[in-house]
Amino acid sequence: MLDVQHYIESGILEEYALGVLSADERAEVERVAQQEPAVGRELAAVISGLDAYAEAHALAPPAGLRERVLEAWENSIRETGPPAAPAAPVTPVVPAPPVAAVPRMSVAPAEPAAPADTEGGAVVRQLPAAADAGRIRWLIAASVALLLISGLGNYLLYSRLKETESSLQVAQAEQSRYAATQQAALNERDQQLAILRNQAFRSVDLKGTPKAPDALARVYYNATTKAVYVDVRNLPELPEGKQYQLWALDNGQPVDAGMLNPATATGDSIQQMKNIASAQAFAVTVEDIGGKPTPTMSTLTVVGNI
Amino acid sequence: MLLVPASPPDSVALETELLLVQRLRDRDEGAMTIFYDKYAAALYGVILRIVKKEETAEDVLQEAMVKIWHSFPSYDAGKGRLFTWVMNVSRNLAIDKIRSKQYRVGSRTQPLEDSSAAQRLAAEPSFRPEHIGLQEMTRQLNPDQRQIVDLLYFGGFTQSEVAEELNLPLGTVKTRARAAIKVLSKLVR
Repeated sequence: MLDVQHYIESGILEEYALGVLSADERAEVERVAQQEPAVGRELAAVISGLDAYAEAHALAPPAGLRERVLEAWENSIRETGPPAAPAAPVTPVVPAPPVAAVPRMSVAPAEPAAPADTEGGAVVRQLPAAADAGRIRWLIAASVALLLISGLGNYLLYSRLKETESSLQVAQAEQSRYAATQQAALNERDQQLAILRNQAFRSVDLKGTPKAPDALARVYYNATTKAVYVDVRNLPELPEGKQYQLWALDNGQPVDAGMLNPATATGDSIQQMKNIASAQAFAVTVEDIGGKPTPTMSTLTVVGNI
Repeated sequence: MLLVPASPPDSVALETELLLVQRLRDRDEGAMTIFYDKYAAALYGVILRIVKKEETAEDVLQEAMVKIWHSFPSYDAGKGRLFTWVMNVSRNLAIDKIRSKQYRVGSRTQPLEDSSAAQRLAAEPSFRPEHIGLQEMTRQLNPDQRQIVDLLYFGGFTQSEVAEELNLPLGTVKTRARAAIKVLSKLVR
């Protein structure tokens, strides 16, 4: 009997998702994930977490790259010969694509027509009307040709339609995704506005020290809920590898109130910081990325009393 | 808060993905344009993060597109999302690239944070508003966790290699990696 918890904690699911396992090990993980629902759920969560992390790093490729990449890809499939024919039989599970069915149908009537015509008996019976036979043959050929042409036309229209349908669907999907995130962003702004309007929040102006006389930031502190928000007006640009850290001063003792994100430090957004039980003043220092347990007083940038 | 994209757009995205899979399976060449528009930014971002040079990243993205097309019959939709699969194909190509000779020299011990690409990425404004921002994600990870996830995901390191690199017990690396990935998956749940 497999100890599910132990298996999950062994780290093998993370290794699976990171792609560092051998083929045998992968197959084993897949087998266990199928047998044990708890493992399956955990594996799905791990994969979606890493997918999201990957997606968060998305970056628009340089402008000309699209054409270059698509062209190179097209050249490569031309070089390796017609891929469509050998590739198609690999996926027999998929119902035959409708596009293939259309031309096949139009060809079908031609086949019975031809053998019937060349049968010896038929020729004998139609001996007196040899000229008619020629005409009939010509008519059959013409209708087959027409049928083929109309089949081809249908096929072209059909594939054009499919293409349009799917680009429409892609566009609709993108559009509704965009709307959802705009809504989410709006909700966040609403929340920020609610903080600014809330009477329970006291605003504390943090003024620049002689080192940075123009620096200015504001802290919103709610003594009841202990919530702290910081809103940067102007802070000097940080040297590489550094980050701003907010401190609450309680009876002269500095208490870490959290690190300012780059977007907060440039004044792009208001950030919620760590909850602070009690404070008489707030201050910001420059620290290594990730912060320090105690402030480096020589880098004190702004400070203000409640 | 705003972290979690609501479920309707997700199911729409899934539907779009299924449609695309079907077209790729039918060897429909027009599908590659849609594929590029949908995935190139995500793939390029991760590839650049791994190889750190824009020129190399462009080459790898190109190779990845060709490889994805040719090995598409081996993609099994029952085993996972198309996104996961193409991301792994691209990551593997990128990691192979940095493990090749010319890349190896001295770059392995250099922490990722110092690379210019990493700086540029961190500075990039969130140009794709539909995604949970990088900043939002990294805000939720503590620096230890982030370092480990980055080494594993972008450095092509195994957990034992990370342990060696950071001089930590393997158990600690596993615990931190698990904790970090747990934070990430909570954000998207």
